[in-house]
Amino acid sequence: MAGAWANQIIQGILLGGLYAMFAIGLSLSVGIMRFVNIAHGDLIVLVSFLLLTLTTRLGVPLLVATAIVVPVAFVGGYLLQRLLLQRVLGQGVLSIVLVTFGLSVIIQNALQGIYGADTRLIQGGGIETETIQLAGGINIGMLPLAIFVFAVALVFALDLLLYRTRLGARIRAVSDDVASANLVGLRSAHIYAVAMGIVGVTVALSAGFMSVWTNFDPTSGPSRLLVAFEAVVLGGLGSLWGTLAGGIIVGIAQSLGAQVDAGWQLLAGHLVFLAVFLIRPQGLFPK
Amino acid sequence: MPVTAASDTSPLLAVRQLSVFYGQFRAVDAVDLSVRAGEVVSIIGANGAGKSSLLKAIIGQADRIEGVISYCGEDLAGQGTAEIVAKGIALVPEGRRLFPSLSVEENLHIGWEVGRQGEIGIEDVFGFFPILKERCRQKARELSGGQQQMVALGRALLANPRLLLCDEISLGLAPVVIDSLYKLIPAIKARGIGILVVEQDITRSLAVADRFYCLLEGKVTLASRPSATSREVVMQHYFGL
Amino acid sequence: MTGVRNVTFQFDKRLLVLIGRGVLVLLAAMLVAAPWIFDLADLQVITELLCLLVLAVMWNLLAGYADIVTIGQHGFVGIGCYAFYAFAVFTDVGPYAAILLAGLTTLVFALPAMIVVFRLRAAYLAVGTWVLAEVMMLGAGKIDAFGAGLGISLPVSVVREFGGNIAERFTTIYWMALILAVTAMAATYFLMRSATGIGLTAMRDNEEAAGAVGVNLFRARVICFLWAAPFLGLAGALITLQKLRIAPAASFSIIDWTVYIIFIVVIGGVGSFEGPVIGTFVFFLIREYLQSWGVWHFIVLGGVSIAMVLIEPRGIWGLLRRVVPGDLIPVSHRPPRGS
Ligand SMILES: Nc1ncnc2c1ncn2[C@@H]1O[C@H](COP(=O)(O)OP(=O)(O)OP(=O)(O)O)[C@@H](O)[C@H]1O
Ligand SMILES: [Mg+2]
Repeated sequence: MAGAWANQIIQGILLGGLYAMFAIGLSLSVGIMRFVNIAHGDLIVLVSFLLLTLTTRLGVPLLVATAIVVPVAFVGGYLLQRLLLQRVLGQGVLSIVLVTFGLSVIIQNALQGIYGADTRLIQGGGIETETIQLAGGINIGMLPLAIFVFAVALVFALDLLLYRTRLGARIRAVSDDVASANLVGLRSAHIYAVAMGIVGVTVALSAGFMSVWTNFDPTSGPSRLLVAFEAVVLGGLGSLWGTLAGGIIVGIAQSLGAQVDAGWQLLAGHLVFLAVFLIRPQGLFPK
Repeated sequence: MPVTAASDTSPLLAVRQLSVFYGQFRAVDAVDLSVRAGEVVSIIGANGAGKSSLLKAIIGQADRIEGVISYCGEDLAGQGTAEIVAKGIALVPEGRRLFPSLSVEENLHIGWEVGRQGEIGIEDVFGFFPILKERCRQKARELSGGQQQMVALGRALLANPRLLLCDEISLGLAPVVIDSLYKLIPAIKARGIGILVVEQDITRSLAVADRFYCLLEGKVTLASRPSATSREVVMQHYFGL
Repeated sequence: MTGVRNVTFQFDKRLLVLIGRGVLVLLAAMLVAAPWIFDLADLQVITELLCLLVLAVMWNLLAGYADIVTIGQHGFVGIGCYAFYAFAVFTDVGPYAAILLAGLTTLVFALPAMIVVFRLRAAYLAVGTWVLAEVMMLGAGKIDAFGAGLGISLPVSVVREFGGNIAERFTTIYWMALILAVTAMAATYFLMRSATGIGLTAMRDNEEAAGAVGVNLFRARVICFLWAAPFLGLAGALITLQKLRIAPAASFSIIDWTVYIIFIVVIGGVGSFEGPVIGTFVFFLIREYLQSWGVWHFIVLGGVSIAMVLIEPRGIWGLLRRVVPGDLIPVSHRPPRGS
């Protein structure tokens, strides 16, 4: 019995890796541009469908398809920020919520119109069935493990990018004070757009992982957004390592909830989020 | 395209009939002004006279302007701040406007990145302000006001400007600190950089200036040389008596 | 411009306000006469629109004035649906009292929700309210007495209490919806004209000014949040009466009670009293003519609302207001814009 719980905790941590992947991009946009993109989850699902088309229609292997999609997502993120979001950034919260909300509804319904409402899963070429046996009857899936390791590596890399590079310093400068940045000659709109391009890259990577691990359909976006949001808030707004921790907490909570009763998985995640939020509204690792 | 050195007679900066608007309000009203290379020009004026608005217009940050701003003979109309800075105009903004969460070194480097990337390097700035070298890993928000102003000035100098705009660099600082900042002005001038200094402190401002303009409610009420003008005359135009 | 021309010009524009008010009065008269001039199917549609109008007025109050941009409105509507069912079926308070108690229950649920909502700033608040609504929906789906995940139908005995035959029942529900809509608008109108509302209007226009006026903004926002909650619950009760059943997915429908509502208010005009009314009407037209387009009508709604935010954040009413010199329903005491 104790073994079953230990197993659930380990599975929960691994699930947290996927959730952290969803959340990293949201954490960046919250930390840098200080807005929550309501369409974040829908963008992940959108890229997943792109991957679906590339792999099933055109027969491209998933890894290659992801490699194709990542630069596209960078450009997509850049243009989204430059052409749409930048225009409403100065207008206050309501405008940015409404625009990304409208985008969310458009993406969901466009996907439904194009692909239908069916639930999908992409074949990963064998990795999804491989497991490692541990003592005590615990099985670790290769795919979840790989995703977890990748999520940690991505947080590490983005942390370096933001805090150890010149580009990172420029991004943080604009995030500190847009008006000052403009006064001294930084191109803040361009820098924001580059940041959103980076968010796009994380969206594409998490889409690649999600599409082989979990089922998705055109309306899956909001649930991904909520999980990502919870991870970001739990971790502390703007902290990437915190976001990783937040993702793991939600993952463990869901996994343990599912152990009690399969129907409690989602609710357990939300309830633990609310409980931790009430105790530490500033998050675990506030900046 | 890099602008070649203008001849001695043509000014670095020539502002003609410049007006700056906030909505319907005219903060700067038909101002004519010029700065030559290696010249220190001072703008004095009371609170709200339009001094900062004038500097913002030159750097390309005013919402709406009328008139002409030409730099090295080129009209700056329609150019963004980034282009203007890259051409060699740098601003030390009013209130310093550092990036508080960035380190001193990062703040300074941003000045280098946006600028002309010429002979003034970060070591030169550390030469001017040795204290900044000691503090270079600290966050800007952890510095004292005087040190922050040094970073702001250093950031502008690292852009290797040919024209430096300084907006009230003495604001809120102790006299000794102000002295140490103002001592630099002759050294900057000696490099052939044109300097436009905005101050409310008339004495200090006129002490370093070759020429000065007095602004009152957006209009130039007096343009002269400190040596040629008595204090009474300056005060009259400053307060519009 | 000569004085004479100026006068006629002014006169023409004032006429627009009068025409606008005339349309409103005509609309009101039509609503009062509706049971006699429309058939049952039309009456049902109007009832539904009145419920949407109530939700739109409340969302506008929160997002347009109180700076509470919620995406979790469907949570409170669902609570109202379930509470109505509980009081109507499990107690013997009677069906009409059950409706009122549904409003009260929603208010009670709004109290703890405030702990979360008012700790989240700005855009985080939007998603935070969504999480709350999700928790309410999932929670409702766990209760066997309400049919768990599948939901449950309203017993015939309860339905009968509102009228022996369909026509009678729908007329009763229609009157209740009309009364609710009128009450919601009147109550919100008076809230907006109180000190609280004037403070919020000042905040909408200029946050600093509001602070200077000495308005306690936090208190004003709390009042608005608690103001809206019971109306959402009452609307939920009436919606349940029309649908005759409760179910997590339908009673807590984000599409019906939040997505559509946001589109209604954004297209009609956020932060104005006329906005929700215009938006509800436009939404009705779009739904009538474009619903056959399936998913594409959502795409049109989403696109139009994004365009609205970019072109005129104050919606259709904001566009009209460029021509019309005054508000049809004068909420604030400010002089008309541009005078
Ligand atoms: N962003 C703005 N919007 C509207 N009016 C402004 C704005 N900035 C400045 N003003 C107005 O323009 C006028 C000139 O302001 P400006 O800041 O240029 O004056 P200043 O001479 O720099 O004053 P100070 O010595 O206080 O810095 C003032 O009346 C001010 O109120
Ligand atoms: Mg000033």
